[in-house]
Amino acid sequence: MSDATTDMSGGKSAPAAHGSLLSESPLMKKRNAAEARFKMYGLLAIVIGLVFLIFLVVSILRNGLPAFTQTVVNVEFTLTQEQFDEAESKMLKTAAYTEYFVNDVTQTLQQRGLDVDFDGDTIERVMGKVGGDLRTFYRENPDQIGQPVEFELSAASRVDRYLQGQLTRDMVVDGRFLEVADLDLVDALAEAGIIGSAFDWNFITGTDTGVDNPGGAGIGASVIGSFFMMMVVLLLSLPIGVAASIYLEEFAPKNRWTDLIEVNISNLAAVPSIVFGILGLAVFIQFAHLPQSAPLVGGLVLTLMTLPTIVISTRASLKSVPPSIRDAALGVGASKMQSVFHHVLPLAMPGILTGTIIGLAQALGETAPLLLIGMVGYVAREYPDGLVSGLLDPNSAMPAQIYTWAARSDEAFFEKAWGGIIILMIFLLTMNIIAIILRRKFERRW
Amino acid sequence: MKDMIPVDRKMSTMQDSKISARGVQVYYGETHAIKDVSVEIADNTVTAFIGPSGCGKSTFLRCLNRMNDTIDSARVSGDILIDGEDIYDPRVDPVQLRAKVGMVFQKPNPFPKSIYDNVAYGPKIHGLARNKADLDEIVEKSLRKAALWEEAKDRLDKPGTGLSGGQQQRLCIARAIATAPEVLLMDEPCSALDPIATAQVEELIDELRQSYSVVIVTHSMQQAARVSQKTAFFHLGNLVEYDDTDKIFTNPQDPRTESYISGRIG
Repeated sequence: MSDATTDMSGGKSAPAAHGSLLSESPLMKKRNAAEARFKMYGLLAIVIGLVFLIFLVVSILRNGLPAFTQTVVNVEFTLTQEQFDEAESKMLKTAAYTEYFVNDVTQTLQQRGLDVDFDGDTIERVMGKVGGDLRTFYRENPDQIGQPVEFELSAASRVDRYLQGQLTRDMVVDGRFLEVADLDLVDALAEAGIIGSAFDWNFITGTDTGVDNPGGAGIGASVIGSFFMMMVVLLLSLPIGVAASIYLEEFAPKNRWTDLIEVNISNLAAVPSIVFGILGLAVFIQFAHLPQSAPLVGGLVLTLMTLPTIVISTRASLKSVPPSIRDAALGVGASKMQSVFHHVLPLAMPGILTGTIIGLAQALGETAPLLLIGMVGYVAREYPDGLVSGLLDPNSAMPAQIYTWAARSDEAFFEKAWGGIIILMIFLLTMNIIAIILRRKFERRW
Repeated sequence: MKDMIPVDRKMSTMQDSKISARGVQVYYGETHAIKDVSVEIADNTVTAFIGPSGCGKSTFLRCLNRMNDTIDSARVSGDILIDGEDIYDPRVDPVQLRAKVGMVFQKPNPFPKSIYDNVAYGPKIHGLARNKADLDEIVEKSLRKAALWEEAKDRLDKPGTGLSGGQQQRLCIARAIATAPEVLLMDEPCSALDPIATAQVEELIDELRQSYSVVIVTHSMQQAARVSQKTAFFHLGNLVEYDDTDKIFTNPQDPRTESYISGRIG
């Protein structure tokens, strides 16, 4: 020390070596340039990230939003008592209703100077089984007979896409779904202004349909499936994960065994999710004989996957509680358990909750393990009717549903898949917002 | 347990000795941190432990309420008797011991709870209060003893972490005395405080001597000289010298003590 000081004060040339402070020395210039370059790289990285994000969001919204609207035909229709009696006495009752409807629409169009030739089959291809719908309506509401009733009939998804310009006449191949001639009717309806678009609640609340009816497919049933799975995951992984972490972090002796467990937990978090799927298939379905495609099994598999995430984040947040708090609690004579449960755990709570919700969000979007336990490809045609059936009856889940739709050959399902992604993203966003709110709320100020 | 071994108590060598440590050795893994320390600490006295950093004074202090138990690698041998009872006896529950031997730490560490809850926590878990009124009384008494009542009485429901550093440390002292301990251990209680807060805490320590046996670890020799009646000088894990404070500072017997208090080592 003392040597250095004498050197510094003794060397008379010291100020000269530094030169003027008003001009940058060459080394300083280099250092500043390096710093500026580094800032540029950082900025560039952020810009690239943002561009990708914007691209992603825009393409999801562009492709997915049409799934939330549907083309509807608004027709005012009046059925007289005689017509009703006549139709009900016929052999093909719904066909009779379809015929009335065809006549009604033809008249409406003719009133507006539009002359199109079409029959019941055309109507069925464009707007589905109208005859059946009408019959059901009038049988349930006989008092409406003889009065004009406004019907809102949803058009087929191909008509949707034709009107949106995604489907052109030369792309249409005559078949049981749509014929080129049918589009004349669609054009006429559009010109008459009785075709329009409406928000498609059925997409959110409805259930999946078979491969031949993309228009009617909804994600509702699989949202419920995902909900039951998440309940299973939450109820199992939160208590097990937190208990395991508290034991490992606060009580377990530090020895070779706990080290081994620690390494294994960290490694489990990196295991590909499909491995958990095949484990679930072997253990829960083949060994324990739990039902296939059931949200309970899905939940169990996802619990296995979420546990390491929760254990790791819980241990990290327990570790981040300052040791002075543990000392303080022990110092006033709290037992180990009291110090953990009264002081450490409340302080670790925001971290635990955030970790749990992020684990849940990860599990919510997981598809691969569901492939193996039969949730992908299962057509969820109906809602479960209770808690037990919700857990044990076969169902799909949101990501599985999206995958199923995207894998179907009918292009009309693609739009549904994009729409499903929007719904999934909304759920994930909500969960993340809840995580942020909880963290803010529970956070202690020091 | 007191009633079970009355013989031991009478055998205590010094009549007014509260704590007696005999041949205490502490190891952290391979490190020999405390080497054969024997010391008698009197009741109603302030005893200061001084010495350079890493000399083992804090380690020895933490032996007195078995806080070293929380460190896995720490091993303690020898006898430490409080009121003639060996606190390392297997029958002794350290939790019960710590209610009797309170501790104040270097850095103020109030719980992130209200001032009231900070003080009330100890009495609550030890069942010292039968009802809310009892608890209120204990809280008030403890805060008064810690000279914090006047400043805190209107903000008992405010977080303890919102107090100033000196107030926080006095809150920690109030928290420690709320469990009605007989011995109060203080590990450099003023090292994070400014001179004014230090003066307040020192004044408080002097008052606490009336009811407790106070053991204080300090870096500041002036502080040891101001507040303590007895001083122990630790160096490299050894207890070099232990005597009346006046004697240590005016007429040290050991050359190492003399070097330290005159600023040549440390």
